[in-house]
Amino acid sequence: MTTVTPPRIRPIPVSLRRGWSWSNIITAAILGALIAADLSIQPALGNLVQIGLLIETALPLVLLAVAQTFVVLVGGIDLSVGGVYVVTNAITVTWVGLHGGAHQWLLVVALGFGVAMGALNGLLVVRLGFQPFIATLGTWTIFNGIALTILPTDGGSPPPLLSNLLLDQVAGIPSSIVILAGIVVAWRLLRASRFGMRMYAVGADEERARLNGTPVRTVKLCVYVIAGLCAALAGIYAAGANASGTPTGGDAYILTSVAAVVIGGTSLRGGEGGVGMTVMGAMSLTLINDIVGAENLNTWVSVAAASALLLAMVIARTLIGAALARRRT
Amino acid sequence: MTRVGGWLAERQSTLMAYALTAALFIVGVIHSPGFASGSSIRQMLVFASFVGFAALGQTLVILAGGLDLSVPWLMAFGGVELSRLSASGTPAGLGVVIVIAIGVGIGLLNGVGATWMRVPPIVMTLAMGGLIQAYLLAVGQLSSSGDTVPSIAVGLASNRAGPVPVIAIVWLVIAIATGVLIGRTAFGRRVHATGENDLAARLSGIRVDRVRIVTYAISGAASAFGGIVLAGYVGTTYLEIGAPYLFTSIAAVVVGGASILGGRGTYWGTVAGALTLTVLSALLPLFHLNTADLEIVYGVVILLGVWASGGGRMLGGIRLRRAGPEGVRPGAQEGSDAAA
Amino acid sequence: MKGTPGLAVADMYKRFGAVRVLEGVTLRAGRGEVHAVLGENGAGKSTLMRILAGVIRADAGQVTLDGRPLSLSGPRDATAAGVRMVFQELSTIPQLTVAENLLYGRERTVLGLVRPRTRRRAARALLERFDLGRIDPDVPVAELGLGDRQLLEVVKALRDEPRVLILDEATSALSSTDSRWVLQQGRRAAGAGAVVLLVTHRLAEVREFADRITVLRAGVDVVSGAAGEIDDDALIAAMLGRRVERLYPERPAPGEEEAIRVSGLAAPGLPGPVDLIARRGEILGLGGLQGQGQRELLRALAGATPWTSGEVRLGGRDYEPRSPADALARRVAYVPEDRQREGLFLAQSVRRNMTAATLGQFVRGGLLDRRRENAAAREVAQTVGVAAARLGSRVSTMSGGNQQKVVLGKAILNRPAVLLLHDCTRGVDVGTKASIFALMTELAKAGTAILFYSSDLSELVHMCHRVAVVAEGRVAGHIDQAELSEDAILRLAVGHGAESKAVAA
Repeated sequence: MTTVTPPRIRPIPVSLRRGWSWSNIITAAILGALIAADLSIQPALGNLVQIGLLIETALPLVLLAVAQTFVVLVGGIDLSVGGVYVVTNAITVTWVGLHGGAHQWLLVVALGFGVAMGALNGLLVVRLGFQPFIATLGTWTIFNGIALTILPTDGGSPPPLLSNLLLDQVAGIPSSIVILAGIVVAWRLLRASRFGMRMYAVGADEERARLNGTPVRTVKLCVYVIAGLCAALAGIYAAGANASGTPTGGDAYILTSVAAVVIGGTSLRGGEGGVGMTVMGAMSLTLINDIVGAENLNTWVSVAAASALLLAMVIARTLIGAALARRRT
Repeated sequence: MTRVGGWLAERQSTLMAYALTAALFIVGVIHSPGFASGSSIRQMLVFASFVGFAALGQTLVILAGGLDLSVPWLMAFGGVELSRLSASGTPAGLGVVIVIAIGVGIGLLNGVGATWMRVPPIVMTLAMGGLIQAYLLAVGQLSSSGDTVPSIAVGLASNRAGPVPVIAIVWLVIAIATGVLIGRTAFGRRVHATGENDLAARLSGIRVDRVRIVTYAISGAASAFGGIVLAGYVGTTYLEIGAPYLFTSIAAVVVGGASILGGRGTYWGTVAGALTLTVLSALLPLFHLNTADLEIVYGVVILLGVWASGGGRMLGGIRLRRAGPEGVRPGAQEGSDAAA
Repeated sequence: MKGTPGLAVADMYKRFGAVRVLEGVTLRAGRGEVHAVLGENGAGKSTLMRILAGVIRADAGQVTLDGRPLSLSGPRDATAAGVRMVFQELSTIPQLTVAENLLYGRERTVLGLVRPRTRRRAARALLERFDLGRIDPDVPVAELGLGDRQLLEVVKALRDEPRVLILDEATSALSSTDSRWVLQQGRRAAGAGAVVLLVTHRLAEVREFADRITVLRAGVDVVSGAAGEIDDDALIAAMLGRRVERLYPERPAPGEEEAIRVSGLAAPGLPGPVDLIARRGEILGLGGLQGQGQRELLRALAGATPWTSGEVRLGGRDYEPRSPADALARRVAYVPEDRQREGLFLAQSVRRNMTAATLGQFVRGGLLDRRRENAAAREVAQTVGVAAARLGSRVSTMSGGNQQKVVLGKAILNRPAVLLLHDCTRGVDVGTKASIFALMTELAKAGTAILFYSSDLSELVHMCHRVAVVAEGRVAGHIDQAELSEDAILRLAVGHGAESKAVAA
């Protein structure tokens, strides 16, 4: 006689059903609290233009955190998002100087770089078997070097058309809000697609996903490419919004993007969470900065608050998850 | 297999790492004989020692399956806090002890968070690093001027015993001690076991949480010490002084042949990794590469080095981890919870 | 439609590292035929099936279906060729819902997007088709019991007409009603022209549903023929390769002294209360259907899970381990179920594995005394039957049987007072089994109390002094050696209503 080995599954949150799990609720609650706090300190924030400005400062982090989310969902990590960011940032601000008016190609080239860099990461991980941490550690340095080659010092200027587009309004709504909404919509579409489901399956249980016919390596490769694309967008956006570029500005974003992902509730093990939650996490971090700035507190307060929030969210989730699991058995 | 053959096979990745160091060094010497001069080697040793201290704790933490992202902040803390203590009258020797003790304390917090509280090490050490950063920022605001680095640190960093820098000797002694710790003690075995398969380790009676907590504590101490020495060398302390060492400490560990997932590696490998990185940094400017190309080559060599010593990759086919076939990433250990 | 060329496997070879699992297997199964594949654990059945399902690749050998060679380089190839497998390890992804799993890879999309409502409807229809309408398609599969998960596995495999259907231990966690249902589905698939391969250990199933039988032993097909032409004894002889009796040594008389007394034990997964006593030198069997709490009981005693209640006296003193370290300190040793995941450090040497649980005693002046460690390892290796020459080899290069010996060696290095064994002969060749049984007897003779959980009833019958039958997390009864038989155990195991519902996880 033989036994059936109960499959070794990771503990799952009480409800993984589509819709709002308690984890989502916590994230939203924290965001709500921070919004309320910021509004009460700066009531002037309550109009579209001001909100648009706030989101404008948040978007680079949001986009980088989105990139990170994709990779984390399939069980990896991408330390090179900061590198991709500075490369496209550099490309955008040097474009006019080098190519004059061929603006339409700027996007193609910059995004093309994003795809290529993402693909490089993907190939290192999927084809050559590097651990994601190590592969992206290496490519981070390489991409930083590439950015420095393109833009040796801070400066440059993006095509005015781009800046205008990004800083302006669309039908009375600040572009930044439109872009943020676009990100969320794009995510929901992806999530509902077959590819989206494959992503989660691979992150949740790679071997079983493979047994079910999922081309695991292809899925992972695509995920890294998407991450590269998002990080590229971040760099382009920052260049346009700040009207200037910096070849070294990406490093700080890397670990912050991971923090945003974790605060939002996406699990570093993969298979759980999503971009919507990460956006909330990134906005939470941005709001902390905004509050600290508004209250004229020292920088250390925002660093401390962000770190404390990070820890609090993780520990809270663990405790609540354990309590709920105990209630079930 | 012959005994020598077996011994070599076991240490293959470490030897590869040293081979890489030697190869790079030879390239440097061929390019310019001054590369092998006394002062050149001395400087490389000193710089390598900084990496070595930052990577000492990192080695142990990674071996046990974790990751320590608070190293750069601990280093900054080491220099800043020692200077502050000295400025307020604490005798230098006592100051060093206190700083290292606090480093241990911070490491303990990291360890407790990463084990008992089940916070993924990446997150725990990241957050802790942030808190240290906040402290340093606050302290920087509150003190009158940048405190000067006490002479004990400066001396440690710059003195020589004959032609050999003191710090290199200190590093050597510590390296030997760490090598013994990892290779010849029960603790070292437990660290390896924990990193390779923490479920089996727990079932074999190893107190996995305690082992991991100790590794973080050691990392705290080593990083704080490294920060003291670094501040002594640079002559001043500033917030970002430790920043480059996050990357290099991890790179040194994996270039040295350790697996980023844990369970495999030695400190001697990390030493080789630290030397490789330092020689590489000294080498590249000789080729008149600008900063940008330097970075690119650096990254490429890291990847190659890791590949050569098998440090960053999965051990082909062998499932080292329990709990299913999920893609494991470093520092995302799942803890040996009873439900596993 | 029997007799038409169906599935043919020719000269298949497969090895994992140094372990040779398939050594030239040949098998022929016609269309419309239910073909049982029998063999001991470790004989190669699962490997063969996984090759056919495209999960792993053979080193050599050809597979043809209806005369045409099959390319099986991945699960998708196999699926495209019409091969469907009910996986022993269950291929449903636990974190996804029933609907998501059932429709995985075949969702209907509108503009590339999956409509959850459409999917749910399709899932419901599929479940209805198989009389499983009671399962809610929106539930994450992880929340289902093991039995339901196995049933889902069958539904997945049968959702379209397979050309080759492989049932790999598809009924092991099912009640007999559900098991028959599964096998009837298999029969139906055969009736529709599929080649059905049935991998099972239950000879009764084979007798009722199989047309032909192939027996694998040590990676080779040793017997093949019509089911009606081979009797059970011949089958067992073919599987074991030797007569049953010589497998088991003579049972020594147990001591009088109580080694361990368990009262009112309950733990997560073990509702209890559990009471049992084992004397020194006694081999106490833990019987019962799979998944009734035996694992949780052993783990609780091993200190691996916390107790919710209970008292245990060990050697006259209270015993309440809060970790395996505590258990080992009281000389309670545990050989876990999954040797690779829970018992071994695959990348380390045999020597280091064996001393991993007892490192403390080799410490001299703060350092490990390698000479004493090596001596102890060598001694244990000899006791369990691992060649001294292999002490330095990596455990990953060893066969399942040898790996099991290493785990055993680790547990017994210090002559434990109580030894907890969880299915230690699973996936182990016959020769190693014999040495493990001999070892158990030796230990018992020397005074170790052994709690022996095996899913193989005949092992329990031949090795134990007494058997405690576990059902639904409690001890349903004890059977003394005199009345010990497979029947007796089954009767107690099944008598508590476990029959009428699927086994809960």
